[in-house]
Amino acid sequence: MKKFLKDYGLWILFATAVIAVALAVMSFFASTSSPLVNLAGVLSSPFRNAYSALANWATEQQAYFADNQALLEENQALRNQIAEMEREMRLAKDDSEENARLRKLLELREKRRDFQFEAANITQQSSSNWISSLTLNRGTLHGVAVNNCVVTEEGFLAGIVTEVGLNWCTVLTVLDTDTSLGALVFRSGDVAVAQGDFVLMNEGRLSLTYLPADCELLIGDLVVTSGLGGYYPADLVIGKVESLQLDDSGSTRFAVVKPSAQLDELKQVFIIKSFDIVT
Amino acid sequence: MLGRTEILFKWLLYASGVLICWMLHGVALQFLDIFGVMPFVFPMLAAVIAMYEGPLAGSICALVLGVVCDLTIAAPIPCFYTLVFPIIGMLAGLISKNWIPMGFWCACLLSVLAFVLTDGFHCLLLALTGSRHAMSTAMSLAIRETGSSLPFLIPVYLVFRRIHEICHVYD
Repeated sequence: MKKFLKDYGLWILFATAVIAVALAVMSFFASTSSPLVNLAGVLSSPFRNAYSALANWATEQQAYFADNQALLEENQALRNQIAEMEREMRLAKDDSEENARLRKLLELREKRRDFQFEAANITQQSSSNWISSLTLNRGTLHGVAVNNCVVTEEGFLAGIVTEVGLNWCTVLTVLDTDTSLGALVFRSGDVAVAQGDFVLMNEGRLSLTYLPADCELLIGDLVVTSGLGGYYPADLVIGKVESLQLDDSGSTRFAVVKPSAQLDELKQVFIIKSFDIVT
Repeated sequence: MLGRTEILFKWLLYASGVLICWMLHGVALQFLDIFGVMPFVFPMLAAVIAMYEGPLAGSICALVLGVVCDLTIAAPIPCFYTLVFPIIGMLAGLISKNWIPMGFWCACLLSVLAFVLTDGFHCLLLALTGSRHAMSTAMSLAIRETGSSLPFLIPVYLVFRRIHEICHVYD
């Protein structure tokens, strides 16, 4: 054993260190993804597409034979929900007309948001148990860039693009420990930071930290992106406050947020390639 | 002693075995949920190949596997598997050569060691990034990941044992 370590151990260690440093340097200086990672992603993307197609087919087959009674109950619940939403829509229409009249009266400019979306399919859910990520089938060829926001079809924030290849990109979900976003409590207007936490990630939750001292949160408060700094678009729904907790030191409060996006059930998402907020 | 062609043939077979496991991971394992985690076979591959091929060839093979994993699997740092897998390969090769004769139980022990090292490195990175409060969750995740992955050692072990037998038939 000593002979092996003396003869070869240092050489293996040296080779490992050189390759590790090369990977780290390439990753550090790449604005999208390092050339080798890009190539590996391009080569493996047909396989990922095939796996996801196979998995979707299996899920559909499973769903086809699902409990009929449960589907009937869900159908009835959805009918009730549609009726409720139609009622809310009629109220919203009246509010919208009133809003337009008041804006005209006060000579305020209309606020609108222009998003440029790119639809993408999820080809791989988290590839490791230690991070929360998605791999999508869109890349630089389709105009996707690092730091683009990814939303669900309902408009809920799913994550942020962190690495882009030619025809693929990796998204860190809002749950991941490396994700950190400027957030706003919709009801009170308090600004905070929504960030992933390893303990909460395993429970499918994230934390809302750096809360103002006078912030009074209520369970169920809606948390949206703040858009401060213009880095990410404002008003993208992150989730709802589920509970309030104290950190390990017992001195700082943070809120546990349940993300609105159903991250485990996603199949298709939309990448916000560019945004322009006109006020 | 194997000739150059036989050595090339042996490593092509090993590469095919790894490719099969990689595809199995993509097709089936990543969609499984056992104890709330998905099985992860790559540390076991590094350990089992090194068990059969010894510390030098095992370390180099594990290094290549680590690089491939870093290029295709998202990790906390860009060279995560490149750093961990050669250590697994070296230790697995040394243990099987000097202390425990190669076989299924040796592969079991080496696979557990591979998970201890891989998940231990994850825990170390978590501690370094200020998530010390998450250690109990990380330990729980490591135990569940090891438990959910170990049953897949049986097919992995059988595939690589067969490859080893084919290539070392005259040893």
